[in-house]
Amino acid sequence: MGETAPTRPERRLRITSVEVLCVVLLVAILGQSWLQSVFDSPALRTGATVFVAVCVQALPFLVLGVLISGAIAAFVPARVLHRVLPRRESAAVGVAGVSGVALAGCECASVPVARRLIGQGVAPAAALTFLLAAPAVNPVVIVSTAVAFPGEPGMVLARFVGSLFTAMIMGWLWIRWGKLEWIAERALRRLPEVEGRDRWKTFAETARADLVDAGGFLVLGALVSAALGVLVPGEWFGALGDQLVLGILVMAILAVVLSLCSEADAFVAASLSALPLLPRLVFLVVGPAVDLKLFALQAGTFGRPFALRFAPATFVVSVVCGVVAGLLFLGGAR
Amino acid sequence: MRRETQNILLLLLGGALLKIALTGDYLRYVKPAHQPWLLGAGAVTVLLGAVAIVRDVLAARERPGTLLPGHEHDHPARSAWLLMVPVLAVFLVAPPALGSDSVTRTRSGSTAGFASASFPPLPPGDPLRMTLTDFVSRAGWDEAGSVDGRRVTLTGFVVHNEGETWLARMVIGCCAADGYPVQVQLDGDQADELAADTWLEVTGEVVPDVNTAEAGYVPEFTVGTLRQVPAPRDPYEY
Repeated sequence: MGETAPTRPERRLRITSVEVLCVVLLVAILGQSWLQSVFDSPALRTGATVFVAVCVQALPFLVLGVLISGAIAAFVPARVLHRVLPRRESAAVGVAGVSGVALAGCECASVPVARRLIGQGVAPAAALTFLLAAPAVNPVVIVSTAVAFPGEPGMVLARFVGSLFTAMIMGWLWIRWGKLEWIAERALRRLPEVEGRDRWKTFAETARADLVDAGGFLVLGALVSAALGVLVPGEWFGALGDQLVLGILVMAILAVVLSLCSEADAFVAASLSALPLLPRLVFLVVGPAVDLKLFALQAGTFGRPFALRFAPATFVVSVVCGVVAGLLFLGGAR
Repeated sequence: MRRETQNILLLLLGGALLKIALTGDYLRYVKPAHQPWLLGAGAVTVLLGAVAIVRDVLAARERPGTLLPGHEHDHPARSAWLLMVPVLAVFLVAPPALGSDSVTRTRSGSTAGFASASFPPLPPGDPLRMTLTDFVSRAGWDEAGSVDGRRVTLTGFVVHNEGETWLARMVIGCCAADGYPVQVQLDGDQADELAADTWLEVTGEVVPDVNTAEAGYVPEFTVGTLRQVPAPRDPYEY
């Protein structure tokens, strides 16, 4: 007669994520002093500070991004986007690159926006170009670069052109070789069109889901970048003054590892005065296009098969674009 | 992960942002201009979580027994568990501002530098209160030598490095991840016994040097008077 359970299944004690969350919180609160003693070593303390700093600095931009994503899903029907963008894909890539100027945020904001654009039927090539262009060519970044490099207008111009071309070349490469099946199915799903009050529901629900999805990956990127930031020896920065090729490579890798906000990286580059301008320019062109937290966000949003192909390609293209722009606008490797 | 858990996590995450923005702890991690952003992001995050909870509760009351909205297309968002990490870090560990460990870690080559610079004349004052950034760049790169022979007051924390004692400050452009140090070497042994990360206000003069400073140059500073001060609310220079 023990068969009563199936009639009232919801009465059974089921361990769901809510219970797990409560237990984790309880354990963490009870073990607070232990937790603090673990973080008493200088290196861990520095790492923890950098981790929280990256999260705190990037989260507002991610929130901005998911709000825009929600707004696109709820208020911009797919047919409007179709009408605005040129029908030819290669032309749409150009429009997308230039319109990156309008979204004044750092790279975390543009990932959910690009995903929503694809969901609403924008050609992936154009959306990906926007993804790369928005964090690098917006007015805030340009102004902060000009402030960080007073008396070097070539630096600002070279960064703008290098980043814009990185974005557009990646878009054109996608048209030629990109495959839709690399992108996870959930990123391609189009939301049903809604009217009236339902729009606000869609807005809030899309923004909420995007924030939950992307937030975890942002945290992952911040964790890795903080760990490497503590582990990478400081000597990497100096002692590269006269090895140009090595300097360019090291600065490109550092841009990926440090995952700086695109609005602040110019100040870091400016402070590395031991290096010639060219490696520092490469640092500025690579950073907003591909770094660890961006890779984590892309892998989470578009799927791992996509990120594993897209990020290395972006790295190569952005290094080349940075070098070429530097040779053109800085007048050689100063 | 269940929808309810996601919403609770959003409340916690938004709460953490609001907490550091309101208590001023955010100054350990980002520059002051970020405060409105943090308040906005915290409020939006809390709101998105709260709205979803209220709607789910209302929907469950209207149609008991049916699935909550959104459940049907839930996918296992395991990554969302990571949102716990910053929440726990902010509420339980509360990492301090960057200090002496960061200075010794990133020491080489990353001192604020100016290729060739002309600085505006210094304002009057004796002793003159200066930021370490301004002092170090003038000591190293000012062709007019404007700090030579001036009594100045500097505020920073103690760093012990390879037998030398420094007074240092971290400079950030946006957040602590992009911080780099500026420092002077303290002459005399007044500060040698002090623990690292002790905040000091020192008054004294620069040891005049040839103005051909290279990156990584640390000016020497003759200490006149020295007193311990509490850590400032805003630990960084910009």
